Amino acid sequence: MKKYIILVLSIVLLQSYTSSAQAKKPTIMIVPSDVWCNQNGYMQRYNNQGAIVSIPDYKRAFQENAEVLQVISQINGMMADRGFPLKNMESAIKTLEANAAEDNMRTSKETGAAVNESPIDALKKVAKADVIMQLTWTVNKTGPKKSITFNLQGLDAYTDKQVATATGTGAPSFSAETPVLLSEAVISHIDNFTASLQTHFDDMFENGREIIVRIQKWDDWDGDLEKEYGDEELGTIIEDWMAENTLKGRFSTTDMTEDMALFEQVRIPLLNEKGRAIDARKFVKKLSKMLKKEPYMIPNKLVMKGLGRATIILGSK
Amino acid sequence: MLVCMSHQGVAQSKKRKANKDTKEWRYDLSCEGIAKQGSKLVKVWSYSKSPKFAIAQAKKNAVHGIIFKGFAGGGAGCTSFKPLYDEPSIKEDHEAFFELLFKDGGAYMKYVSSATDGNIAAGDRLKISKKEYKIGLVVDVLTDQLRKKLEAEGIIKGLNSGF
Repeated sequence: MKKYIILVLSIVLLQSYTSSAQAKKPTIMIVPSDVWCNQNGYMQRYNNQGAIVSIPDYKRAFQENAEVLQVISQINGMMADRGFPLKNMESAIKTLEANAAEDNMRTSKETGAAVNESPIDALKKVAKADVIMQLTWTVNKTGPKKSITFNLQGLDAYTDKQVATATGTGAPSFSAETPVLLSEAVISHIDNFTASLQTHFDDMFENGREIIVRIQKWDDWDGDLEKEYGDEELGTIIEDWMAENTLKGRFSTTDMTEDMALFEQVRIPLLNEKGRAIDARKFVKKLSKMLKKEPYMIPNKLVMKGLGRATIILGSK
Repeated sequence: MLVCMSHQGVAQSKKRKANKDTKEWRYDLSCEGIAKQGSKLVKVWSYSKSPKFAIAQAKKNAVHGIIFKGFAGGGAGCTSFKPLYDEPSIKEDHEAFFELLFKDGGAYMKYVSSATDGNIAAGDRLKISKKEYKIGLVVDVLTDQLRKKLEAEGIIKGLNSGF
């Protein structure tokens, strides 16, 4: 009887756990577009071996432009009201700077060692999110009349696809100040933006999260993707694994050479068989483990980028 | 007494007709401009034999329109608006909620207010046939509150549902 009660309790607990399992929530951040930064003079220019390169100077834009803060603050508030608070880029930049300063000063109490950071780690220290809301507006002037052309694009940081949008030009006004017109633009466009974002999430829940998977090899590895195991080349074996493990077998082989493979539009389930949320890294981990085992015995390194991009580098860790 | 009863009967019949028109989407909705954050300023055109009933039905039509119909964009900075309930037809288990919401004097009243104190502009009172009027009334619909109510009732999904 005791055993029976324990069994029933465990089933109930397991059921309640799996039913409460939720997908990994993407982070969203508003970023002023390159066009807006360029039009408003917030660009940094440097000479890269003779070529002049321009990159947006976000920090200066946040410090000097009150309008960008107003628009971001208003959108942040409206998204938070919909249960989806956004990551604030200005704060993310400040946190990165504070962390970098702390890491530079930190030493081990016992050995005096500094915090280890590879060049890749340093490169990855940028403000990032899973979905970027790219913001552009221009103030149009015709005589005394002013209007705002507003463009809000939701871009998936991994697949580079535009997953949501809202764009249009507001009514011209003789008297309204630019901040008032901007506020009206946000109010009139946010519903369309969230509606298209909702469509993207609905698609994600129905057809799985879309990710990118890359396969590469270290240059000192003597094997390649054309190496044969049984009757099949390694590249084809990996392709077959993708077909079996993706949701409804959905993926595209964009590139396949002896040295690399690129799989795009890879649809993965949001939860694994245990009901736990998974992302690109957890999904590809299974492939990494398979390649390490018999008959392949290929040591490999798994690297990730956010929820939606994972790379396996074959040959060693 | 008989005259009084027949008046009541006619009024009931007009009310039923107005409710039937709402259910059959017989009203028009257009954007009137940018409202305050969280609401939509719309002009709703209702049809009735009596202007009085068209005005009374306008608020119900406006809330119905925001939930089921949406509106196209246009002048005055208006952008298009997708309906909150984006299903081809009302699901069976949602019917009871909507019946309650749209009954006469029902909860829909919480989400709408008249923007012009119920005044109708001269051009918005049209006699379209011998027996029928088309009346345009500008109202303010509290779309954010309405959306939150529908989310709380599990009728529509919130942006964060599933995460």
